[in-house]
Amino acid sequence: MIFSTLEHILTHISFSVVSIVITIHLITLLVDEIVGLYDSSEKGMMTTFFCITGLLITRWIYLGYLPLSNLYESLIFLSWSFSIIHMVPYFKKYKNYLNLNAITTPSAIFTQGFATSGLLTEMHQSEILVPALQSHWLMMHVSMMVLGYAALLCGSLLSLALLVITFRKFFSKINNLVNESFSLGEIQYVREKNNLLPNTFFLSSRNYYRFQLIQQLDLWSYRIISLGFIFLTIGILSGAVWANEAWGSYWNWDPKETWAFITWTLFSIYLHTRTNKNIESVNSAIVASMGFFIIWICYFGVNLLGIGLHSYGSFTLTSN
Amino acid sequence: MASLNHTITSKPSVHKALFLKASLFHYNNSKPTFISHSKRSSPFFTTTCKLKSPQDSKKNQTNLTNKILLSEVAPPPPPLAEEGGNEKVGGKAGSNGSGGVMGLVKRLPRKVLAVLSNLPLAIGEMFAVAALMALVFKCFVAFTFCESGFCAVELRRTFIDQGEAPDFYFQKYPEDNPFLGFFTWRWVLTLGFDHVYSSPIFLGILALLGTSLMACTYTTQIPLVKVARRWNFMHSSDAIRKQEFSDTLPRASVKDLGVILMGSGYEVFLKGPSLYAFKGLAGRFAPIGVHLAMLLIMAGGTLSATGSFRGSVTVPQGLNFVVGDVLGPTGFLSSPTEAFNTEVHVNRFYMDYYDSGEVAQFHTDLSLYDLNGKEVLRKTISVNDPLRYGGITIYQTDWSFSALQILKDDEGPFNLAVAPLKINGDKKLFGTFLPIGDMNSENVKGISMLARDLQSIVLYDQEGKFVGVRRPNSKLPIEINGTKIVIEDAIGSSGLDLKTDPGVPIVYAGFGALMLTTCISYLSHAQIINCVLMLMHSSSLHIQKIWALQDGTAVVVGGKTNRAKAEFPDEMNRLLDQLPEIIESSSPK
Repeated sequence: MIFSTLEHILTHISFSVVSIVITIHLITLLVDEIVGLYDSSEKGMMTTFFCITGLLITRWIYLGYLPLSNLYESLIFLSWSFSIIHMVPYFKKYKNYLNLNAITTPSAIFTQGFATSGLLTEMHQSEILVPALQSHWLMMHVSMMVLGYAALLCGSLLSLALLVITFRKFFSKINNLVNESFSLGEIQYVREKNNLLPNTFFLSSRNYYRFQLIQQLDLWSYRIISLGFIFLTIGILSGAVWANEAWGSYWNWDPKETWAFITWTLFSIYLHTRTNKNIESVNSAIVASMGFFIIWICYFGVNLLGIGLHSYGSFTLTSN
Repeated sequence: MASLNHTITSKPSVHKALFLKASLFHYNNSKPTFISHSKRSSPFFTTTCKLKSPQDSKKNQTNLTNKILLSEVAPPPPPLAEEGGNEKVGGKAGSNGSGGVMGLVKRLPRKVLAVLSNLPLAIGEMFAVAALMALVFKCFVAFTFCESGFCAVELRRTFIDQGEAPDFYFQKYPEDNPFLGFFTWRWVLTLGFDHVYSSPIFLGILALLGTSLMACTYTTQIPLVKVARRWNFMHSSDAIRKQEFSDTLPRASVKDLGVILMGSGYEVFLKGPSLYAFKGLAGRFAPIGVHLAMLLIMAGGTLSATGSFRGSVTVPQGLNFVVGDVLGPTGFLSSPTEAFNTEVHVNRFYMDYYDSGEVAQFHTDLSLYDLNGKEVLRKTISVNDPLRYGGITIYQTDWSFSALQILKDDEGPFNLAVAPLKINGDKKLFGTFLPIGDMNSENVKGISMLARDLQSIVLYDQEGKFVGVRRPNSKLPIEINGTKIVIEDAIGSSGLDLKTDPGVPIVYAGFGALMLTTCISYLSHAQIINCVLMLMHSSSLHIQKIWALQDGTAVVVGGKTNRAKAEFPDEMNRLLDQLPEIIESSSPK
């Protein structure tokens, strides 16, 4: 009982903190940049990270297994993965880590918001593990897959942002928004540049800044996608080994497996386009942003249908 | 006329060969990218072949000596393409006349290789595989607005369903009303879309992808490793300055730098004033490893598809079966083994339950007997814990209700056969019937018994009214219209899947290799550093040029990397900061 109360509290804390962080972002975006507020948003993400970690650990303790057995739990884990992706560059003290802020924070809040929303209420109760899930592979396979999804989603969102900035003429409105939110991280840098250069060069410095931003986005999406690709590879392979233990064959052409394989193929296409210098970064970004939709089909669409062997995470939408 | 033509072209052609070789050489150093390599090598090829046209056997000799001279300047072994060229010279000397045809024949596989290792082709193949898989299973999203305004997402599987009888497709894709205007059942059946994963198109594309992998490894990746391994000195400071990273250190010694580079994990080659160092050969090998692992998995998968046996059986507790009777071959490579004669006896089948009454785990106690009736193995299997014996794996996959053992008015026990009533996913329902009264009358009445699992039996009387629930083994009798019934036992049957799969070890080896090599290729960040240094006051070939640029001793450092481009300059600067400055300079101005 105490565990479920604790879990409840932690969910609410983390959710409200992320909301506050996003509000701060919006304030800085729309009104003005206030350094104090900005720092507090960083602390807020830290708090969220620890809250979700606490939530997962609590669940782990009272269930006796790593909570990854249904959609709700995997969404919470996805949210946690987003916050960890947010944290990692922070720890490594990269100059440009703020770049990821605009991607990870909303992703975290959306996944968590969906997980805690009314749609999945029946799943909040800890379920019992069906026989096929009672294996040590559960931890390895699902955690790797979800980590992979999180990283690939981040990377492909960065690629989408790159596309938006590149084709700014076509969607100038959205572009402004994205550009501005990214400029949070870059603003200091641009100001320095502006100080260095005479005012007459403002236009060119603006262009230079855009070029820098595109380069940064490209580099980061490549880094994060290649990291996610490793997780995805390990996840799929461990899943195959597990399937050979539980279902009788390492590959069953189950819908989820097929879509995971499609995702894997798509991102290996992305990595191959990166090895060739003749293919522009825009083209590889297009591939990566296709990946964004493919991952959602793989992660969510297949669960929504609730068919095939991977139907543990399925749920039915009620219209009333 | 031919000779005249020749005399004009011969000298430039020698030059050309040298030039092209140099460019290839330089190119390999500077741009180890996939596709461009094959692009570059093919023009070079045609030139060497032109040189060896039948008229110019003499020139071949000079050409050859030139090449040898050149390779003396550059210690490395000649690149792959050039080896091929030299071979052809030898072959020509032997066969004399038919060199052109022979060359063509020999060239053809290389052209095929070049085409196959083409990156856009490989990417196209991957897209095709992904698209074919996606085609089979495409979600159709329709938004339906309910009265309450709530938006429900209805997802349906509307694309081509797999493994149905032809009639299904006749109905779904009729000829008089084709899907998208042209798509009828003829398309589905001719292209094999009713079983995509074993259709010739899908398998063909997979095979093409496999050959592309091999071709790419052979023509692009392996030469890249050779290039990386070669002693690859650069003798002009301009060339070094053209590198992605370059720096000039005014007072420094190349030997000190060599020591520092060695200390930080580089392989260093020093020759006179020039230094060449590289790191990250693992990063070069890793992509090859990834491709080989993929091929290994593909090979294992093929073996699995062609050489395995499969079968499933539902065995009531207490009965037995012979392995060979259950297993059926899946392909032409399947051949039965000695272990197929093994007899399997199901000693016991039971389930574990949670407190809430749901099934926690299924267990089957199995004994294996050989031909002589000797027990060779006994194991209790469960889901996630299969039995392995002599290449055969037995999985616990399903269960069923076999029979109900009851006492009727203390007579018996009778075994009532139980039939599945409604099987809807995991919600199983079984039922049996105990006739009471006159068996020969037209409408026999009796007691119905229903069960969802082996735990509890629900009893209904002759009128169909609910009477009560009894657990097997409880010995608690139940009275139904004067008939006393005791449920003695519920006998389940275990659903077992059996298989032999010779491909599994190969596939697992591929899995291991794939995981390892993917991680290595990510981790080997600072890939290849082609760091060439020159000391100014030495007597090198291009020294004059540099003297004009600098005075005093100086080291020009150039480096490049193909990954982690942002971090590489930092690393180089950190390394170069350690370089001691030479106070005494002995340079003549």
